Amino acid sequence: MSAAMNRALPLLAAPVAFFIAFFAVPMIVVVSSSLMAGGVPSLGNYARVLLDQYHWDVLAATFRIAGLTTVACALLGYPLAYYLVRVVKSAALRRTCVILLVLPLFTSNIVRSFGWMVLLGRNGLVNDALVGVGILDRPMRFLGTELGIVIGLVYILLPFIVLAVGNALAAVDPALEDASSDLGATPFDTFRTVTFPLCLPGLMSGIVMVFTLAVSAYVTPALLSGGKITVFPMLIFQQYSTVFDVNYGGALSMTLLVMTLVLVGLAGWIGNAGATGRKAQ
Amino acid sequence: MPAMPMPATAKPDALLSIRSVDKHFGTYHALRDVSLDVAHGEFVALLGPSGCGKTTLLRCIAGFLSPDSGTIRIGGEDVTRLPPHRRPLNTVFQHYALFPHLSILDNVAYGPRRHGVPRGEALERAREALELVGLDSAAGRHPRELSGGQQQRVALARAFVNRPKLLLLDEPLSALDLKLRKRMQIELKHLQEKLGIAFVFVTHDQEEAMSMANRIVVMNRGVIEQVGDGRAIYTRPASRFVADFIGEANLLPGTAEGDAGVRLAVGSALLPHLGADTRQRYTAVLRPEHVELLKEPEAPGLITDQGFVEDVIDTGGQTVVTVRVGEHLLASRRLGMAGEGLNPGAPVFVGFHPGHVHIIAEPATHRSGP
Repeated sequence: MSAAMNRALPLLAAPVAFFIAFFAVPMIVVVSSSLMAGGVPSLGNYARVLLDQYHWDVLAATFRIAGLTTVACALLGYPLAYYLVRVVKSAALRRTCVILLVLPLFTSNIVRSFGWMVLLGRNGLVNDALVGVGILDRPMRFLGTELGIVIGLVYILLPFIVLAVGNALAAVDPALEDASSDLGATPFDTFRTVTFPLCLPGLMSGIVMVFTLAVSAYVTPALLSGGKITVFPMLIFQQYSTVFDVNYGGALSMTLLVMTLVLVGLAGWIGNAGATGRKAQ
Repeated sequence: MPAMPMPATAKPDALLSIRSVDKHFGTYHALRDVSLDVAHGEFVALLGPSGCGKTTLLRCIAGFLSPDSGTIRIGGEDVTRLPPHRRPLNTVFQHYALFPHLSILDNVAYGPRRHGVPRGEALERAREALELVGLDSAAGRHPRELSGGQQQRVALARAFVNRPKLLLLDEPLSALDLKLRKRMQIELKHLQEKLGIAFVFVTHDQEEAMSMANRIVVMNRGVIEQVGDGRAIYTRPASRFVADFIGEANLLPGTAEGDAGVRLAVGSALLPHLGADTRQRYTAVLRPEHVELLKEPEAPGLITDQGFVEDVIDTGGQTVVTVRVGEHLLASRRLGMAGEGLNPGAPVFVGFHPGHVHIIAEPATHRSGP
């Protein structure tokens, strides 16, 4: 082994130790506790989770909310990122916009979700505005609906997708778009066949990030659900904090984790298949 | 104003006709009253140092930049305000700009597809174009899997597959190493002749321009300094800048004596010059290969002077001897190992034929104003 290698090893040891202590060990603890029931190894916790239709309903609601949140974030975030990277010419203005975008991340989730409770209430600003403008005849119910939770989550998670797409867009060489229009592509064709495919990896990573964060979100759904809607993280929270059943809670956690990974993997696989299937358009 | 051998009106048969194009970037004047005609099938090089406006001019022709004033016509049609995708030309970009997410074949087929050619035929055309550049075997690969030279060829194939009448090339060989560049120069020239497409080729390398182009457009500070074939530009530069930029040159001051001619600072010879004017400054251009080193103070037919060897640089194939004559330095390039016995400080005689001296009248007010 070379001398450089020898010097590098201690440097590597720190992140590896950190990873083991804070990611691998907790994971092992959760997995092993989920496989214990009444002090003996058992798959009983998983049977309780998977054989109960209620859990499947909550899981479906969780994924529905997370899916809608992700779609809304992508639809809002992509144009916003495009605007920031391509339309805003002044570097100072762009920096200001990015700071404005990221700044809310520094405040607590709880505070921001409370804010939305006020805004989305029956007599809140949103309803007042919608009724005032004439879009609605009478105030509509947001709190305690999936729509209300989606609005709150989109607000909190939007920056992630904007930053991911923005970085990808900024990395697209403008010469490629020049080349495309030089070869006869209209601006829309250039976007469809060059710009968009090239920042697709950025969009995908943003989507995965938003989806996983939305699936695992607890505070926002809890505050905006008004006790009427349950998402999976709430079930987990109950087991750990109220019932103190770490074995059952662990099984719930692992179920959510595996299901999320399956969905994300599926989306990635479909995305890849789509990318390789696209030819000479 | 420098000599501008352009007619003021467009030639009727010109493929590309640029008239009085001006372009500013903020306060920076990138193109000043540029006019140029390019004929069908011609190979024109835009030559100049970086920042001279050659790439700006190219981008105006391609449509990526819009001139502040002036017109650009292609095949008689005014395209000044047309977006790039509606102009009948194609561009080879400096760093190729191949689409990284598409295969080589799809890269080349991209143009025909955009023009509504059915997929099968577009791929067929792309294959033919790749064959022409000798890369049909790489059709299925992706740009990142190819070497710089191969990417260059793909960029070329992608640009001419649309069969444009005009191809713009923005320093296409600058990213290649010297040997490959030399080979690509020859290939490019052959390809241009075979396709019969007019090339407008931007370069800062005068050798490249000389060896490939039918006509060279020398640019400096947003102005066309001279247009001509390589030989004319080398032997009869229109300005001090051209003389200095193209090859090496000894630039010697001269003074007009009545209208009889211009007297050189070296050799104190009077050279006949039509219309010599005492109010103007003159510069004599003398190429180093025309300066001979003599053992005798006199030689028949040559203007001679005495000097001292300043410095000898021997590069194997040729030797450059710099001689100080009075307050002027004169470089002499000789073939072979001519530096023997010439040590710095040694007295030596220089001589040159008056026919090899080219005299440039400098404008009374210097053009490079602000």
